[in-house]
Amino acid sequence: MSFKKSSRLMALGIAAMTTAAVSTAAQAEIKVGFIGSLSSDTGLSTLRGAEIAIEELNANGGVLGEQITLVKADTAEDPTEGVKAYEFLAESEEVDFIISGSIDDVSLGWMPRMQEFQIPTLDTWTSYIGIIDMIVEDYDSMKPYFMNIASDEALATLYIDFGKDVLKEKMGWDSVIILQEDTAFGGAIAGLVTDALAPNAGIEVVDTLVYDITTNDFAPLFSRAQDSGADFIYLISSVNSQVVSSQYVKLQVPMGMTGVNVAALGQEFWEDTGGAAGGISTLSPVPSVGFKLDPVSQAFVDTYQAKYKSRPVMPHFNGFNAYHGVKQAMAAAEEAGGFNNTSWVEAMEKQDLKLDLDGKPWLRYGFWGNDEVEPRTGRTYPHNARFDITEPYEDGSPSMVVIQWYEDGSNAVVYPEKYATGDFTVPSWVKQ
Amino acid sequence: MQIIIQGLLLSGLYALIAMGFTLIFSVGRVLNLAYGAYLLIGGYVYFTISQTLGVPKLIGLFIAAIVGCMVGLLKYRLLVKPLKGNHVAVEISTLILAVVLQAGVVFIYGDSSKILLPIVAGVTQVAGASVTYNLLAATMASWTILIGLYFFVRKTHVGRAMQAVSMDTRGASISGVDPDKINMFTWGLSGALGATAGVFFASYTQLSPSMWVAPLIISVAVVIVGGIGSIIGTLIVAHIVGFMEVLAVAVIAPELRGVFTMLLIIGVLVVRPQGLFGREEL
Amino acid sequence: MNLRLTHFLMWLAFIALMFAIPEFVSKGTLRTLIFANFLAIFAISWDVLSGRTGYISFGHPFLIGIGAYTSAILTKRFDVPIELAIPAAVAMTMVGGVVVFLPALRIKGSYFALVTLAFMELMYQLVQVIRPDLTGGTRGMSGVQTLTRGAVNGYYLSVSLMLAVALSMWLLMRTQLGTALSAVGMNEESVRGSGLSVTKLKLFAFLTSAFVAGLGGAFYVHYLGSIAPRALFDINFLFTIIVAALIGGASTIIGPVIGAFFLTFLLEYLRPYLPGAERYFIYGMIALLLYMYEPKGLIAIFSKGWQRLRGGAGSEQSSAS
Repeated sequence: MSFKKSSRLMALGIAAMTTAAVSTAAQAEIKVGFIGSLSSDTGLSTLRGAEIAIEELNANGGVLGEQITLVKADTAEDPTEGVKAYEFLAESEEVDFIISGSIDDVSLGWMPRMQEFQIPTLDTWTSYIGIIDMIVEDYDSMKPYFMNIASDEALATLYIDFGKDVLKEKMGWDSVIILQEDTAFGGAIAGLVTDALAPNAGIEVVDTLVYDITTNDFAPLFSRAQDSGADFIYLISSVNSQVVSSQYVKLQVPMGMTGVNVAALGQEFWEDTGGAAGGISTLSPVPSVGFKLDPVSQAFVDTYQAKYKSRPVMPHFNGFNAYHGVKQAMAAAEEAGGFNNTSWVEAMEKQDLKLDLDGKPWLRYGFWGNDEVEPRTGRTYPHNARFDITEPYEDGSPSMVVIQWYEDGSNAVVYPEKYATGDFTVPSWVKQ
Repeated sequence: MQIIIQGLLLSGLYALIAMGFTLIFSVGRVLNLAYGAYLLIGGYVYFTISQTLGVPKLIGLFIAAIVGCMVGLLKYRLLVKPLKGNHVAVEISTLILAVVLQAGVVFIYGDSSKILLPIVAGVTQVAGASVTYNLLAATMASWTILIGLYFFVRKTHVGRAMQAVSMDTRGASISGVDPDKINMFTWGLSGALGATAGVFFASYTQLSPSMWVAPLIISVAVVIVGGIGSIIGTLIVAHIVGFMEVLAVAVIAPELRGVFTMLLIIGVLVVRPQGLFGREEL
Repeated sequence: MNLRLTHFLMWLAFIALMFAIPEFVSKGTLRTLIFANFLAIFAISWDVLSGRTGYISFGHPFLIGIGAYTSAILTKRFDVPIELAIPAAVAMTMVGGVVVFLPALRIKGSYFALVTLAFMELMYQLVQVIRPDLTGGTRGMSGVQTLTRGAVNGYYLSVSLMLAVALSMWLLMRTQLGTALSAVGMNEESVRGSGLSVTKLKLFAFLTSAFVAGLGGAFYVHYLGSIAPRALFDINFLFTIIVAALIGGASTIIGPVIGAFFLTFLLEYLRPYLPGAERYFIYGMIALLLYMYEPKGLIAIFSKGWQRLRGGAGSEQSSAS
């Protein structure tokens, strides 16, 4: 059933006949809802990306001849508050489209409401493959949902190449110890890395240490890692990542460490850790800190920095996703004549924004076809951002890049080659 | 050897954290569930003063302790005293206060976590274990404060008055001690200790709006297992909890680290409610 | 039993009012009311245990969580029909109630509060570590079967459940058993002196509380359609439950209901004006001030106001229970 008000069509017809000035009347608006945390860098990146996209769209006459307004609903990163926020947007505000900067369990929390209300929804932060699996299993109820970040599985797959090309061939490392937080995300990534690192990159996994996310003392864990005799540590940390990375620096653990460290994705990482961040590297969705930007994305960042003075000073990857995603969602509405969940979904599925830099394909915002099989992983990714995990990354954005923080506070992309702006190094206290 | 060194360092930090909580519990006889908030406030005050404004670290630590002390005094005046010994009401209102303070910190600083620079920078290797000077300093500070406190309570007039109030409020007031003043003093002292511990705790782990929960649980564990009113008990049990954590991580299963602490609390409470070193009374 | 016609008339009016609400308010408000209904159930459950017997439970999310997780796991992972899963969840929660009861045999006061807090924290950690394939680990579960769709249906279901719980607890509390329970809260020794078994009375209170918590928890998860450890075994959730019971008025039935509605609406109505973190700050401050001002709760404020309206001197009868 459709939650679309039939009066919308009439309002639309009237708005089309009258001048633009009339269309700013309060009732004839397109409402976009934001769901996410209003006090985290993550949530704010998505919110601000959406705000800028809406301003630009409104300056160009809005969508469907109407101006767009934005309604915010704070989740405080709590799953139950997330459900309430989604209900507020859907039933009190009756929004047409929802842009989300939610984290995993919050998205999963409101997902049953999305299935019930069938409001077009775009997630920009969570990369949980389980949600894409839900679309595969139950397309009909999940189809208004889109996720324009490469799912976590794709992140890990490309990371294996980094292991082979850089860790094994360049650094000469043969063995690794995995240091994994005890979360579903940690378990999934550790599984992928364990299964693929040895056969594909020739790096042996010596041991896996799982730690509790409230751990505040990593000294014994680092001791165990050193005792294992592995060449480097593979860290998987999405919660409280600052603790483990800053203790690695403060304790000057004498072995290399790379992996997934969600805290290191933002430009504020250096400041937040008081500089205890040198030598930390992590995989990151694109674009990331240290990432060379195409002109369109650069223009977005310029507008962003002129408009917002508070943190995050540089939008995280999900800010870009929200900016391009909101524009695509509105373009789809323009093509479909509204946010109807059959025609809008079809139009959204076809959205495809290709951004070039110096004549080379650089970033791409589009979605996988519903039955399209990704050749390396051999599975489908309906409504997931179209990513590319094989060189030369011309069919889509790379699913991830590896970024590195240096001891002088600068940062760079170090992998893949095509996007690299610096070299992968270990901190100065680690003997090669 | 690594385990012993790491265990000693962590336990020292835990003893420091639990000390202020023990004081209030033994003198005021109430659970200050907002105790963790002193650590929160101490950490953030220090962050603002030393890391953002660049004031020398020792001054930052001092100001953090002063602010902690003020918050403790305010809490006693505005919250504990009006509720006149209604323990349940105090416990619940301190719980509410902690949640309010957490929201306040999110409001001012946002909810992304921050890392404090070490108060004392540097690291060395002892018997294969990395030892940061910062944690070493925290442990030494902890021992100094503990020994100081021990003698303060035993030897000074105020300290003995605290003991008296802790044992019997009415008896104490008959013998000329003003329990109100002593309580006031204890709340202030507890706040200052908590804030100091917060700076060390945050400089070892991180600064985040929800950082008050973990130290609260540690304090609860230490106080419950140690029994009330026992400085020595606090010290010993801080070491039990600290070593148990290090052992769990180093030898058994790191993901079960917190589970052991909870089981210890429940186990001791059920088997020996007065704590391992406490007095035979509730 | 001390029952009067006026009581039944008041209940009837209350029930009629609650059922008439969907005619007058928007769907968005109904959604808020649904959360208020569930919170009211949890607050009543807390009050049966803590408000009456004086054993302050800081671990109520532990019981609610058992109910919610049991039902969610049974329906989602083992395809057990919902009609069987909910009773199973309630039974499981009552087992949990016995577990919480055991320490109460030996300890009370602050120590009991702490042990229940430890139960909650323990559960929070165990749910993530043990069998994440069943519990969904840290992320929890989504797509749990829901009982109803739409705000109106959800409202009728939740309000019926809430009213059924409230009415049966009210009736229970007016029996001699209920009076004896409150007596345990006042003075355990004198109850023992009067020849009643305090242990049995306490066990009864714990089981009743667990029954309501399990029932509420199971229906709650089938309303939300999702469950996550962070949403349940959380100090903020605990805070909301306790504060709802206390702000409304502990040791009454209507008190926790009033408190739950007040808190839920307070938070939701602040949303348009204070979208961000300041909302929780103001919300907590109001809760704290209200509690400090009148620890007996809103119900005491109302009845004082009512008496003043009636001329103060005229009535010495307070009917707040």
